[in-house]
Amino acid sequence: MITPIKALRKNRFKTALIFMSMSVSIAAIFLISAISGGVVSMYSAMLKTDGDIIVTQKGIADTFFSDINRSMVDNIAQIEGVREAGALILGAAPVEPLPIVGIYGVSENRFKSYTLTQGSTPKNGEVILGSKIYETLKHPKTIILSKQKFVVSGVFKSRIGFEDGGVVMNLHDGGVLFHKSASIFLVSLDDLAKSDRVVKKINTLNPDIEAKTTDSFIDSYNQFKIIKTSSDVIGAMAFLMGILGIVSMMSMVVNDRKTEFGIMRSIGLSSWVIIKKLLAETLIIALVAFSFALALSLGVLELIEHADKFQGYINGEITVSLVVNVFVVSVVMAMLGTLLPAIYAARIDPMTLIQRGGA
Amino acid sequence: MRIQAKNIEHYYGIEHVLRGVDISIEAGSFTAIIGESGSGKTTLLSILSTLLNPTSGEVTFDEKAISELGNIDVFRRHNIGFVFQFHYLISYLTLRENIALSALDEDSVESLMESLGIGRLAARYSDEVSGGERQRAAIARALVNRPAVVFADEPTGNLDTKNALGVYELFKHFSQEGTGFVVASHDKKIADYADTIIEMEDGKIVKILKR
Ligand SMILES: Nc1ncnc2c1ncn2[C@@H]1O[C@H](COP(=O)(O)OP(=O)(O)OP(=O)(O)O)[C@@H](O)[C@H]1O
Ligand SMILES: [Mg+2]
Repeated sequence: MITPIKALRKNRFKTALIFMSMSVSIAAIFLISAISGGVVSMYSAMLKTDGDIIVTQKGIADTFFSDINRSMVDNIAQIEGVREAGALILGAAPVEPLPIVGIYGVSENRFKSYTLTQGSTPKNGEVILGSKIYETLKHPKTIILSKQKFVVSGVFKSRIGFEDGGVVMNLHDGGVLFHKSASIFLVSLDDLAKSDRVVKKINTLNPDIEAKTTDSFIDSYNQFKIIKTSSDVIGAMAFLMGILGIVSMMSMVVNDRKTEFGIMRSIGLSSWVIIKKLLAETLIIALVAFSFALALSLGVLELIEHADKFQGYINGEITVSLVVNVFVVSVVMAMLGTLLPAIYAARIDPMTLIQRGGA
Repeated sequence: MRIQAKNIEHYYGIEHVLRGVDISIEAGSFTAIIGESGSGKTTLLSILSTLLNPTSGEVTFDEKAISELGNIDVFRRHNIGFVFQFHYLISYLTLRENIALSALDEDSVESLMESLGIGRLAARYSDEVSGGERQRAAIARALVNRPAVVFADEPTGNLDTKNALGVYELFKHFSQEGTGFVVASHDKKIADYADTIIEMEDGKIVKILKR
């Protein structure tokens, strides 16, 4: 263990470059996975705590485009096993100076999911603001949405980051603003075991709507798939960049240390010993870079979470399983990146030492 | 061990540098190969030490061809030591670590260093000792596994006369303990220490002197 550290210290500059290139790639993988995972899990958490079954327009890819008749919510509430059913309108609009803000029109019975820190629930012409946007807009008395003025009747706090950056109004006002009856229904049950039966029932009510358990909705939700796929692609590119960085730096290192490997060959150390030595060296760098990248990512996520600009929409989540996965990825990256240069090093012909004579 | 080269011819491209060399080296002997620059000493040494394949002819170790020796790395580690003109010590390792690098038995390192007069320098790095001490560390590295034979190419090329004579003295000493030495050199003084002197000229052995 001592020898590889000595070798790394001897080649300090290149060690530092390899360290930086690995750290950047690993941090990139952490951040992209954490942020996409955070968005997905935050939205999932919101859906899950708010309901066991979600009802949308049939065949719609995104809840923002969903349009269903709000009167059906009463029929659903009648179904046996349903504790409560509420309607939501999901929309987005600019609120000076913010380019885009989530707007939620919700039925009366859903107001209780927003914990008011001040004021009262919104009547017609009124809105309540999430605590984050309330701060960002510097405690406004009114806001303008699509040229209409709304009075701020209260402020709420939500566990869910991006709700805190949003605006909530009653279902009637939401319908007028976004020209629709409802986007989705959220249905909670007395007993989760009955969910399949209730889903079937709801689906027979009307051919235009589609009910799914929240879990299966989240699994099949296109937006989540897109986020996941793009994060995987970007993560894979960061991984490749990391490997390429290691390959190019290690090739330079091997070239600098040709003599050393030639000596090892001449005194009868096998190729495998040389390959192991180089792998050990990059593995040490990888471990340090991994720890550094983890700390860096946690720091960056902390900053993002508290940045006003993002209104809590970006909320990274570094889970234990992510840490484990990225750790494995880092080790694999170091190994793959080192292998080719190491094999080259192990093949150096000791004859070159003799022919150079002096040096 | 007995190393034999039979009818060695070697070409670098079209340049004919060894012309029908026959040579036999016994364990425990001290053979000096002398000759003018370009006469083929380094080439012959490389071929005898398995680092270079001759264009034609055969090298055998106890009548075994190189292809019959099994894993050549393992064979080299056990049986062959090298000393180059330049010490080629690894700069980030101490002298002791350099010598122990290929040691099959690390316990022998200390006493070996002692017997080469560099025992007190074990923890130093190569840039913290003199040129003569560096070369003695390189010799220790070559000897650490008690090989049958040590090949040295101009081992005193970078040393002053006093240190050079010290190196020959060491070779003589260790050859008497059973290790064979094959040393290529310009230095005529080596003739006072070696028991066999082979003189080369233009790729041929022109004189073999035994004592
Ligand atoms: N790798 C090589 N490629 C082509 N020619 C070579 C090579 N190595 C040596 N030669 C040539 O082969 C001949 C013998 O070289 P060699 O190095 O064996 O001589 P030497 O006796 O060791 O010389 P010196 O005393 O200068 O070290 C020389 O003419 C040299 O130019
Ligand atoms: Mg030479």
